[in-house]
Amino acid sequence: MKEISYYPGCSLHGTAGEYDDSIRDVSNLLDIQLHELEDWTCCGASSAHCTDEELAIDLAARNLAIAEKSDRELLVPCVACYSRFKCAEKESKEHPEKIHFSYRGNVPIRYALDFFCEGPVLEEIKKKIRKPLSGLKVVCYYGCLTVRPPKVTGIKEYENPQHMDHLMELLGAEPIPWSYKADCCGASLVMTRTDIVRRLSGKLLSMAKEAEADCLVTGCPMCHANLDTRQEELGKEVGENFNLPVLYFTELIGLALGHKDAKKWLGHHITDPIKMLNSKGLM
Amino acid sequence: MADKVGAVMVVGGGIAGIQASLDLAESGYYVYLVEASPAIGGVMAQLDKTFPTNDCSMCILSPKLVEAGRHLNIQTLTYSEVMKVEGQPGDFEITVRKKPRYIDPLKCTGCGECPQACPVPIKNLFDEGLVDRKAIYRPYAQAFPNIFTIEKGERAPCGLTCPAGINIQGYVALTGVGKYKEALSLIWEDLPLPGVLGRICPHPCEKECNRKELDEPIAICELKRFVADQIKTELPIQKEEAKEEKVAIVGSGPAGLTAGAYLATKGYPVTIFEALPVMGGMLYTGIPSYRLPRDLLAEEIKTIQSLGVEIKTNFPIGPHLTLDDLFRQGYRAVFLGVGAHQDQKLNIPGEENPNVIPGVVFLRKANLGEKVEVGRRVAVIGGGNVAMDAARTSLRMGAQEVSILYRRSLSEMPANEEEIKEAEEEGIQFQFLTAPTEIMIKDGKVTSLRCLRMELGEPDASGRRRPVPIQGSDFFVETETIIPAIGQTPDLSFLQGMMIETTPQGTINVDPTTLQTSREGVFAGGDAVSGPWIAIEAVAAGKEAALSIDRYLRGKDLYEGREKPNIQKARFEEIYADQPKSPRERMEMIPAEERRKNFSEVKKGFSEEQAKKEAQRCLNCGLCSECLQCVALCKAGAVNHQMKEEMIKFKVGSVILSPGFDEYDPGRLIPYGYGRFPNVISSIQFERILSASGPFQGNLLRPSDRKAPKKVAWIQCAGSRDMTGNDGNEYCSSVCCMYAIKEAVIAKEHHHEVEPTIFYMDIRAHGKDFDAYYERAKQEYGVRFIRSMVSRVAERPKTKNLMIAYVDSEGKVKEEEFELVVLSVGLTPSKGAKELAQKLGLELNTYGFCKTEEFSPLQTSQPGIYVCGAFQGPKDIPETVAQASAAVAGASSLLADVRGTLTKKKDYPAEIDVKGQEPRIGVFVCHCGINIGGVVNVQEVKDYAKTLEGVAFVEENLYTCSQDTQEKIKKAVQENQLNRVVVASCSPRTHEPMFQETIREMGLNKYLFEMTNIRDQCSWVHMHQPKEATEKAKELLRMAVAKSKLLQPLKEPLVEVIKKGLIIGGGLAGMRAALELARQGLDCALVEKEAELGGNLRHIYHTIEGNDSQALLQKTISEVLENPRIQVFTKAELKNLGGYVGNFKSIISTNGSDKEFEHGVVIVAVGAKESTPTEYLYGQDGRVITQKELEEKIALRGEEINRCRHIVMIQCVGSRTPERPNCSRICCSVAVKNGLKIKEKNPDTKITILYRDIRTYGLMERYYTQARNKGIEFIQYELDAKPDLNLKEGGLQLKVKDKILGEEIILQPDLVVLASAIVPYENEALAKMLKVPLTADGFFLEAHMKLRPVDFATDGIFLAGMAHFPKSITESISQADAAVARATASIAKGYVSVLATISEVDQTRCVGCGLCELLCPFSAIRVVETEKGSKAETIAASCKGCGVCSASCPQKAVTVHHFSDEQLTAQIEALLPVEGKKAA
Repeated sequence: MKEISYYPGCSLHGTAGEYDDSIRDVSNLLDIQLHELEDWTCCGASSAHCTDEELAIDLAARNLAIAEKSDRELLVPCVACYSRFKCAEKESKEHPEKIHFSYRGNVPIRYALDFFCEGPVLEEIKKKIRKPLSGLKVVCYYGCLTVRPPKVTGIKEYENPQHMDHLMELLGAEPIPWSYKADCCGASLVMTRTDIVRRLSGKLLSMAKEAEADCLVTGCPMCHANLDTRQEELGKEVGENFNLPVLYFTELIGLALGHKDAKKWLGHHITDPIKMLNSKGLM
Repeated sequence: MADKVGAVMVVGGGIAGIQASLDLAESGYYVYLVEASPAIGGVMAQLDKTFPTNDCSMCILSPKLVEAGRHLNIQTLTYSEVMKVEGQPGDFEITVRKKPRYIDPLKCTGCGECPQACPVPIKNLFDEGLVDRKAIYRPYAQAFPNIFTIEKGERAPCGLTCPAGINIQGYVALTGVGKYKEALSLIWEDLPLPGVLGRICPHPCEKECNRKELDEPIAICELKRFVADQIKTELPIQKEEAKEEKVAIVGSGPAGLTAGAYLATKGYPVTIFEALPVMGGMLYTGIPSYRLPRDLLAEEIKTIQSLGVEIKTNFPIGPHLTLDDLFRQGYRAVFLGVGAHQDQKLNIPGEENPNVIPGVVFLRKANLGEKVEVGRRVAVIGGGNVAMDAARTSLRMGAQEVSILYRRSLSEMPANEEEIKEAEEEGIQFQFLTAPTEIMIKDGKVTSLRCLRMELGEPDASGRRRPVPIQGSDFFVETETIIPAIGQTPDLSFLQGMMIETTPQGTINVDPTTLQTSREGVFAGGDAVSGPWIAIEAVAAGKEAALSIDRYLRGKDLYEGREKPNIQKARFEEIYADQPKSPRERMEMIPAEERRKNFSEVKKGFSEEQAKKEAQRCLNCGLCSECLQCVALCKAGAVNHQMKEEMIKFKVGSVILSPGFDEYDPGRLIPYGYGRFPNVISSIQFERILSASGPFQGNLLRPSDRKAPKKVAWIQCAGSRDMTGNDGNEYCSSVCCMYAIKEAVIAKEHHHEVEPTIFYMDIRAHGKDFDAYYERAKQEYGVRFIRSMVSRVAERPKTKNLMIAYVDSEGKVKEEEFELVVLSVGLTPSKGAKELAQKLGLELNTYGFCKTEEFSPLQTSQPGIYVCGAFQGPKDIPETVAQASAAVAGASSLLADVRGTLTKKKDYPAEIDVKGQEPRIGVFVCHCGINIGGVVNVQEVKDYAKTLEGVAFVEENLYTCSQDTQEKIKKAVQENQLNRVVVASCSPRTHEPMFQETIREMGLNKYLFEMTNIRDQCSWVHMHQPKEATEKAKELLRMAVAKSKLLQPLKEPLVEVIKKGLIIGGGLAGMRAALELARQGLDCALVEKEAELGGNLRHIYHTIEGNDSQALLQKTISEVLENPRIQVFTKAELKNLGGYVGNFKSIISTNGSDKEFEHGVVIVAVGAKESTPTEYLYGQDGRVITQKELEEKIALRGEEINRCRHIVMIQCVGSRTPERPNCSRICCSVAVKNGLKIKEKNPDTKITILYRDIRTYGLMERYYTQARNKGIEFIQYELDAKPDLNLKEGGLQLKVKDKILGEEIILQPDLVVLASAIVPYENEALAKMLKVPLTADGFFLEAHMKLRPVDFATDGIFLAGMAHFPKSITESISQADAAVARATASIAKGYVSVLATISEVDQTRCVGCGLCELLCPFSAIRVVETEKGSKAETIAASCKGCGVCSASCPQKAVTVHHFSDEQLTAQIEALLPVEGKKAA
């Protein structure tokens, strides 16, 4: 059994409950024990980082200091949290004096997508596949922060990441090559410039439709919210009925592993994936 | 210093290497031209057209290839690499590794047939991977040498893994192209039971298949079955002559049958003794027929029998017939292949019960059709294939419930995965971690089996985890029949007392290499030696034993050459990852419910479509598969797969490196999607697409759907001018702007609908006439130019069109869709060149190009080693060619005193006088393999030739150009006293000189030869009309014969030359040329119009690289003045020039006194000047000066500059305007240079440069970067919005529109510096005197803008320096050296040879009208005054035989030899129908 610390972040306790559930359930199946950080707080992603530099680092550092109490890795499912944590980590190395908590930069911060796409976990998934997702055409959507900025994430393939595509292939789905996988959906402007959000998200949905994808897969609760909930308004704008399910990659792992609760998670989406999955014989 | 060697090695056979080799060879040096690839030609061979003249690249290159290739003093070493250079300048010893081509260059005729036989497709790198070629290939059709190469790599792992060493890649490849019979023959070489093993082999090869890294391994085994099933006819099996020695084989299993088969093919009489009533051993008794049908087995055994193998069944070796008896009966050797048929015991109570049937016994009985009782429930014990077979067989024999009990778990099970899966499907139950302990018997019958549960412990010797019993876990499995299948051993009881050693494991002890037993003459293999193992191992043993027995019987060494060679397995390479995934084909099977009822074969085999598809999945990771189809096809016998590499040593005095460049790998620019998006291609790929010989035959199509794109975009600077330094290079690649513009123009010419768009940062059209070309592209062709750097390209998922986002001229972000995107990739130093530099100890610069100095651009860091072309820095073709010649000047001056010591000269026999002889014509008609013969009926053409008048001898040849045919031609000439020879074959362009050489060697004048092309013009263009093609071949031949009757021997006279030069212009180029000429050992006169030498260099005070140009000036002048070979005339001019190459006569006028000077060559280096600006208040306000004036101020009156707060430089003053359309090339770098110099002294001085495009091309880009980093401001303006300079309140006020701000800004400089255009002097008079042309701008026009950059069309006159076009000091030096090398080469021999095929004037007819003189493009005919008035005469040394004079002469007074009216008329008349001719 592998043990790992877990920082769900606000989204997973709120809008992205199905992401949280699927991560916990899939981890169980894969013999991974999650230890939710005690007394965790907001990472500062939504507003601190653009209002107060000190606070932006400290909010992340506070949580990292908690994680550093154990020598486990820290699993972070939300890209925004991940990005903040990685920034704090960088800061802790370059300007340790700016950190006001007992954080020394020694927590291996693991973004959930990277974690599940990595060697041993991937091997375990491979072994436990019960219902390959045959016939499911997906576009993998990494979004902007999963891989960027490369100086923070350390990811080399930031223009054309592949790991989620490989995971989907392993699960038996067909990842469609897609140019827009690391484009921004506009989530951070969701309150201030919805016109830009609509343009960016609309483009992503149109291109996913053009690629004839059955669904779009993501690992970011912001992107998910943006793309899942806006389909009707965006569709009206361009006169198109998108009806494109947006799924978390963990939900698809669970589905392929034959988890009994898959239907429960998948039932939470605004754009209903059940019918599509049924028609493919995957549910 | 040791004696110098009069030879030079040139490394790299691109255009630079070819030019250098030709110049060297002509200058009297023997040349070794070393090229890494199989052919010379380099990148230029890949290009479609060249800028700015739109010449076809191949058309202008290929004559050079032929010239270099055929040159007596150039030895081309292709497919070779330099390993070592030792020694010192003048005397180097070179070691070169010649890679094996696997084709004998002396035998290969380049007929081009072999690729059709080759089944192995490999990415065609010449076509930049857009299409495939074969493993046997010639890079391109015009390649020199015109021979093929087989590309081999490390071996494919499949074949290396196969115990029998079957050439798997070979038969898979052949299957993929439908050559099943050939595939089967190939298998048969190592396996005489292909259908059998194609069914039952556990295929260890597939586990190693590289394709598994991509998706799934190739279905190798099933493909073997497919080909075996396809071929029902007999295979042509080669048998050696019959031998006498009899061989006995014991056992007819796979080992025995294989040994028998291969001994029989070697001619031995073989008898197989089989104890069982059936043939096949375990193949029959051990393997059920639902896996291996009996008729198939019988069929393959029958094939072996048909070779002469006698099989005696029911014939056990034992007490009745011992081993000794066999020897007594005259058998000279024995092979024991008795297998392992004895079962291993469980050793538990109850095992002796008749309901307990050992697996092998059970299978044997079942397979022999004997009755075996099985109960309702059957328990099989074991996890191997025998257990699976027993379980599945018992099911088919009526058992209801069959279980397999195995003591470990599924993953440790040794049976094949497929077998397990099929058993499961048929309903067999598996009980893992179960070990039997006791068989329970009631009333003499088995009732159940007591078992223990196991768990897995530590791994044992086999690496599998050891099963450990769990105490007290006993349980019972109810069953009526128990089949233990836990292993077999050989039954060797028959060997007792036969002096055959056995092992403690109960197997026969043999020598592992030879398979010889302890008894002489007795060999053994298969399961009897190895213990129970797979059939393919037994086959391998049988084959090895056959080899041993053959050697044994012939008394040869059994061991020789049998050590296992250490061959590397080809690994999975990144390039394969691009391949589209494609799942493995699956065989159709009988449904499980049905198959458990009977013994019909479960698997149905592949359909043909499936098999081909599956075979084509092969990655061909071993490159050549050695299927040997090429060997079978090549009629010239040129293929030799055993060829080895060679090390060659030779001596040279100097080395010239021209290894060229690599294209920047655009795959590194991830955002552009190259490699991911099929319609994003590199510029060199685009060149191939445009090329008529390219992948799409010159049709402009895009890769994804092979449709013609309309909207095509170019993205400039792909990998160049990249300041991140991560993915790209910092420098400018110099050529991309022009080639992109050219590609856009040519694309437009291909398809008028194309809408080309070029995205760029600066357009760098800095070469001669380049800007005019750029303007034409915009205005005449409608090429759209957008100044914006594209950040990424996205692909539309469905159409594969591409989206480009850019910022337009208004600063708005726009997105536009294109159908094809071309990345204008830059040049990088080639990988090979860097390795070479390391071997030679050369210094490289920061970018990895060869390090050279500004004033000695061709000299590497190692004395005696010179560099030229793109390895010295990115540059275009003319500069490359000029540098090549310049490098020759370097090498040649080093070796001037040994010139001509190593060059070869050919001695010919005296010419036979054919005058007055009746024509006796020999005709040779070529088959060219099947190239001509496959279409044209060569026999018929030959017979026809015999009927033609004057033909004395006719012969047809398989390859008329082959070496042995040359001997045949010579013999025919001699024996038949032939005095004319006609060859009907291929192109005279490539082959005529060779045939002329052949007849010359027999004493016939080479002009008594005529050739006609029945390949291109008959078999190629009429390939589907053989009859008509044959008729046309006859007609062409008739014409050739008709002309040949009138052929006359011609002489090629030699004219002595004066080894002196005249140099016009005493600037840097002229002085450099004079010095170099002197170093070559030639005297010269240097004519300078000014009182002082130095020209423009006198006004240059520093260079952009920071070198002292005044020091260069002083040094050069003093060297010139001190050199005794140089006669300097200052304040002088050339008054008259007469004569021709080798024999010019000039009149040099100094201060009114004329002096005559005789010389062989002329170098024009008259320079150019900075123009006087007529705008921007120049001349009206002292604060407005030119760059030249600025430079003088900086150097001499620095305080004036120090006082300036703001200096503005305006670029393109007088350049790039409608009146003067071209760029002045050097002004951008001069501005940057002066700007940096000012900043160096006064960092606070504000400097603004107003420019149109910054053209700091090549490695100078770094100074542009430096300038920006130092705070120099750059503001771009357009021609239609020029800066406006005015006086306001006594100050200078300059208004300019800043495009980034979109607003007009006002500057108040205290100094304005104009980059005024560089213009030529008044050159008209001189040009006229020299009879050479000028460009529209007034610069001198060279013979060819691409390949003859320093020559004039008129022989003996050369060009250097700014008289040609504005250029830098470095470039002037290169060009001066180049002009010297070319001039030297033209007269080095001491004579010039005059062409024989030139014009001659019949002066009795000539009326002296002068039309010919007017029209001659080479100034090679002139009107002279004779006693009989004005008459034309040919200047033989200058005439090129073009025929313009002859065609235009109204008096028909001019004849061109070899193409006389009489000859051509005869040819035309021969074409007319015979009847028509009679009627006429």
